[in-house]
Amino acid sequence: MISIIGQSMILVALISAGAGSILAFISAKKDSAEGTNWARRAAQLFSILLIAANFLMVYALLAPDFSVGYVAKVGSTTVPTWVAVVSLWSSLEGSILFWGAMLGVYVLVSVRDLGDHHPEHLPYFLGVLLACGVFFTFLLAGPANPFTSVPNPLTEGPGPNPLLQNHILMIIHPPMLYGGYVGMTVPFALAMAALLAGNLGADFVPRLRRWLMIPWIFLTGGIVLGGWWAYEVLGWGGYWDWDPVENASFFPWLTATAALHSVIVVKRRGTLKIWSVTLILATFLLTILGTFMTRSGVFNSVHSFTQSDIGPTFLVFLAICFVAVILALAARMDRLEGGAGVRDVKSREAMFLLNNLFFVLFTFVVVIGTVFPLLVEAIKGVKISVGSPYFNAMSVPLGVGILFLMGVGPALPWGVASVERTKKALLPPLIGGVIGLAIALPLGLTNGWALATCFAGGYTLVVTTQQFGLGFGRRGLMGTISHLLGPDRQRFGAYTVHSGVVMIIVAIAVSHTMRSHSETTLLKGDSASIGPYSLTFIDVENTVEPHRRVLAARIAVEQNGQPIGELRPAINHYHTQREPIGTPAVRVGILSDLYLSMMSYETKSGKLGLRAFINPLVSWIWFGTLVMVFGGFLAVLPRRQT
Amino acid sequence: MNRTVLIIGLVLTAPLVWILASGFGKNPHAIDSPLVGRAAPTFALRQLNGGETVGLTQGGQPTVVNFWATWCRPCVQEHGVLTAAAARYRGKVKFMGIVYEDTEERIRAYLKRSGAAYPTLIDEAGKTAIAYGVYGVPETFFIDAKGQILYKHAGPLNPQSIEGYLRKLTQGSP
Repeated sequence: MISIIGQSMILVALISAGAGSILAFISAKKDSAEGTNWARRAAQLFSILLIAANFLMVYALLAPDFSVGYVAKVGSTTVPTWVAVVSLWSSLEGSILFWGAMLGVYVLVSVRDLGDHHPEHLPYFLGVLLACGVFFTFLLAGPANPFTSVPNPLTEGPGPNPLLQNHILMIIHPPMLYGGYVGMTVPFALAMAALLAGNLGADFVPRLRRWLMIPWIFLTGGIVLGGWWAYEVLGWGGYWDWDPVENASFFPWLTATAALHSVIVVKRRGTLKIWSVTLILATFLLTILGTFMTRSGVFNSVHSFTQSDIGPTFLVFLAICFVAVILALAARMDRLEGGAGVRDVKSREAMFLLNNLFFVLFTFVVVIGTVFPLLVEAIKGVKISVGSPYFNAMSVPLGVGILFLMGVGPALPWGVASVERTKKALLPPLIGGVIGLAIALPLGLTNGWALATCFAGGYTLVVTTQQFGLGFGRRGLMGTISHLLGPDRQRFGAYTVHSGVVMIIVAIAVSHTMRSHSETTLLKGDSASIGPYSLTFIDVENTVEPHRRVLAARIAVEQNGQPIGELRPAINHYHTQREPIGTPAVRVGILSDLYLSMMSYETKSGKLGLRAFINPLVSWIWFGTLVMVFGGFLAVLPRRQT
Repeated sequence: MNRTVLIIGLVLTAPLVWILASGFGKNPHAIDSPLVGRAAPTFALRQLNGGETVGLTQGGQPTVVNFWATWCRPCVQEHGVLTAAAARYRGKVKFMGIVYEDTEERIRAYLKRSGAAYPTLIDEAGKTAIAYGVYGVPETFFIDAKGQILYKHAGPLNPQSIEGYLRKLTQGSP
């Protein structure tokens, strides 16, 4: 019964999206307000049906009803309630269904937000949004149907992927990432609407920026939570490894970040319109490319779903989107031209453009490195992998450049600046760079790029602080704070994000270059030392759980001779996994983490293979992300109407 | 219509779609073993049931070496497939199961329940698994009469896949 209801919902949603999209484009052509209203109703129906279909699936997973295909694949009577709920996105079909629910929420809220504010753009917006909806509901109705009916259902199922149950972050990370990926459909539809209507006016830009900022916040959180999960679960001591699926989430983030800056120039100077629209369109295309990478089974990644039938369908959609975007740009870009252009290289808009070029170059570097192995295999039939050395060599200079421009740009005025004013703006913050070096050098940082990062970070932090304190003399402390949280909240939010970025980039540079590690073999009672820590192997504990066997080592830890507790790194043997998976034990600190990873344990000889890391400043990455997300929310909250 | 944008856009899109499409039908997770095409590492291991030491020497009969454990669900799934194939190819192909990170009691209890059609060998300290570069279980090596590894299969075998390997190993005759 659930299968029939679910499939019916998907089918009606598909018809609503298809009919609504066609009707919206016809209404745009005929300038029919009534037609647009009907398209809006179709969008609302589409959204409600997809959200309801998700609730239905959650009900089926909780029941559990094994006559529903997806429940038979990932459901189980033995898993806790929360695991049953998160099973919704634990496998391919459910993840597409969840994608549909997210899209439904975004469509409902964005259509309501747009209301009747932009009648010229609305039909195009609805048409594009629902055309994307058609594709995802088509997947749900056909190649990735989660509501298939199982003729002779069993009374028990295998449960979801055990890795999903391994850490709380794996529950939050996918929805955050989806919130970013799916949400990029809204700015894409808005940018397409601006392009097709030939109008990107000053009244439209704030809305476009807000709808770009919302998924950007989710994408930022999702990417970093993925890194945090890898750090806490996988046991190799790192948080980012340039894996194709990690990269897939990173490149839309890069173009979206570039677009968030270029739309400010559109708003302030009325220029860079085509550039901004192109960046937003590219961001959406890259999210679809990223989704293809995760779901096609074409890329070798630890994260991707296994080989599936939806790869070719996704590729067709990707190709259609590329062609539609190119055609729309070629046909309508001339209508968007306007503004005075960038007149002075010493202006803020010139620095924004330069920062954009760095972001775009960064995106090319990551895309080329990710796709290159596929290209080599297609041409030469040889398997190669492009690893960290390439990505690090290319991304470090770009990252330092972006960090420095984050300081230079806001220091400069809009429009035209005299040489005197430029000097006055750019020279004083150099003291911040010098302080950055003065802190880094005595701590033993010797790597040239890491030192450059500390210099750029110090410089940018001074400029950011100056921006926080603008008008301090006139308003006083309380007045400045209330101004920042009131009328100037968007700017305050943006500079809060910048503060988070400084923390993260400096932390990445320091953690990469000053990390120390040691590998050792210990018998019970043996000790080893790393940095100020002494590690003593006490014993091993073997625990059998329903879905895995856990072998955990008990390690007593002393810091500078003082006992500070016990850490328990472990190795897990999951019944459904071929390879054993380690669970590291991490003692998180403000300045550095002690990270222990169990490599092996020989039962007969009692030998424990242990790897220990001291990872400096890693916790700053997680905290910096919180700051970024907080700043993002401040920037996105609408201003109170007066 | 801006023709430059149109042409540049399409010229960039076409190869990207071609590159992505070229990946279909290939398994990106497949790891080619450097041992394939080379002499299989020899070994002599103690049997689980206490019988005489069983080993692999250079040359002799075609051999299937399967690394497995009872905690590994795919290994349990393929157990019946291997048992049936061993019976079908009795006298033509030698089968050996090598225990990977498991205890003898658990293996004994499992084989009592599920049956054993070929020797199960104990790999002390996992030295043989290391010699074969075993990444995880199950992994199965198909070794020809000259002692050369012809194929390596990572993951569970099904009746079709094992039949394909064994036919090639015995050059067509089941």
